[in-house]
Amino acid sequence: MTLSDFISFLMKNTKTIMEYSENHFTLVLLAVGISLAIWVPVGLLLTKSDKWAARVLALANTIFCIPSLSMFAILVTIPMFGLGRKSALFALVLYAMMPLIRSVYDGVKNVDRNVIEAAQGMGMSTRRILVEILVPLGMPIIFAGFRITVVMTTGIAAIATYIGERNLGRFIQEGLVRSNTPMMVTGALIISVIAIGLDTILGLIEKRIVPKGLRISR
Amino acid sequence: MIELEQITKQYPGQVMPAVDKLFLSIPKGEICVLVGPSGCGKSTILRMINRMIEPTSGIVKINGEDVTRTDPDQLRMGIGYVIQQIGLLPHRTIAENIAIVPRLYKWPKEKIKKRVDELIVMMGLDLEKTRGKYPSQLSGGQMQRVGVARAMAVDPPIMLMDEPFGAVDPIARTHLQDELLRLQKEIKKTIVFVTHDINEAIKMGDRIAIFNAGKLVQFGTPEEILTNPINEFVEDFIGRDRVVKKLNLYLAGDAMEPIGCVVKEIELQNAAQKMKDAGVEVAFLINEAGKACGQITTSDVEEFGKDIEGLRKRVLRTEKAFVQTTTPFPDALSLLLEYDADYLGILKGEELCGMLSFKGIRKHVYRKEDE
Repeated sequence: MTLSDFISFLMKNTKTIMEYSENHFTLVLLAVGISLAIWVPVGLLLTKSDKWAARVLALANTIFCIPSLSMFAILVTIPMFGLGRKSALFALVLYAMMPLIRSVYDGVKNVDRNVIEAAQGMGMSTRRILVEILVPLGMPIIFAGFRITVVMTTGIAAIATYIGERNLGRFIQEGLVRSNTPMMVTGALIISVIAIGLDTILGLIEKRIVPKGLRISR
Repeated sequence: MIELEQITKQYPGQVMPAVDKLFLSIPKGEICVLVGPSGCGKSTILRMINRMIEPTSGIVKINGEDVTRTDPDQLRMGIGYVIQQIGLLPHRTIAENIAIVPRLYKWPKEKIKKRVDELIVMMGLDLEKTRGKYPSQLSGGQMQRVGVARAMAVDPPIMLMDEPFGAVDPIARTHLQDELLRLQKEIKKTIVFVTHDINEAIKMGDRIAIFNAGKLVQFGTPEEILTNPINEFVEDFIGRDRVVKKLNLYLAGDAMEPIGCVVKEIELQNAAQKMKDAGVEVAFLINEAGKACGQITTSDVEEFGKDIEGLRKRVLRTEKAFVQTTTPFPDALSLLLEYDADYLGILKGEELCGMLSFKGIRKHVYRKEDE
């Protein structure tokens, strides 16, 4: 493959590339959005009970161990899901369970007991303590988990092409089948750029979102 | 006033109750120190007052009202709470930390700012430098000052302090103790103060409650406890040097005696005669500026006779052998030993107003011991 092959592929297939990228993006966005909405509250809830935390985290770990191709294969056999976006979303949300729950749980559990005790002693309500203390102080760990989730989801979303998702993974899959190198490289490259780009942007956001007092040392 | 009525706290899975049928009545406007070896239940008792821990049985009353009638958050907002580990919010500035409880009370912004500034100054911190800093930028002593300021923010009538100065270095601790005592003279709060250090208890307490294994062993003023320890446990706990510890309770002014004879520095040659006329063993020397600058004893006079220059040298050696009326006995004793003297002049500010003798200290302590 020469550079001109690659460029001509890009030129000829701009429309498809745009469509696949968009599909990829929306899948990742939806998956991450749903995951946040479900797993962050679950993670917070688990900080109340060590017993349940151990159980749920063990479950999340187990799910996380299932190879993604197997997961998709299993899901399509379930009539409720079948081929397509539903199965893809469900799998991605399941994969996000481990990093999100774990980081929220660890982040909140790592907050200095004394700070919480002092806050309670001053009469701050449980809700206030959660919003004003636990979440901001747990943020560095929570956000690290979030970044991992986003990058991981971007990668696994590509594999969903095998169950009918028309996204950037398809370039890689079809490129392999047809020995079309420019097609394969296009898919691989754009997915990587998206993953790296998202992580970089999140890194910048992280700098703003982590409370200032935690960044300052004497 | 805080009353604990037959309070028992039994933790699950423990044979002995942490606190066992305790009755304790803490008077208003005083510092009451709960002291005892670790595990004696003193912290548990403190935390039952603001319902951080609920008693298994018994009633805690504040000003006659059962605390369980108030919502715990509301109750705690009205009680200052200081813990050893301080627990400042690391992501909030010092000003924001102090403003926490006023914010819970929804004070207007201006009022909060004014109060915060006032407290920073009151705690002896540099207002401009401290206000915008984060806790990690302060030293341990400074952080605990902020901790105390935060607890006092809405001027609560009651403050609970759980080993508040336990984690700061000894010099900062002494400063913090002195400042709290100075403040307490003005603010007159009901303070419940937990410590395991008997010396701190004696220094800080208007009243001391000594605990052992969940039971109140003795409750009284420091003087009562040091004078009449109720049993061997208390005796051991306060230490064999209890009478020496008692010295901390008295100030030089308490045992002040009038001065029999004052000699001006220029009249040093007449000192012997003057002292003989007054029939005293010691005289104090005053320089031209009217400042006390030494002491002359009869033995000095005998030793030097007509050698006025020698006498002057001897007298000026004791130039610093003076204490203030507010100097505690141990410091005065130390000076007496340092100068190998029997007497010290007592100053009030710059002015000579009396003297303190070895004998006087002994008598004072003995008389108190006798009572």
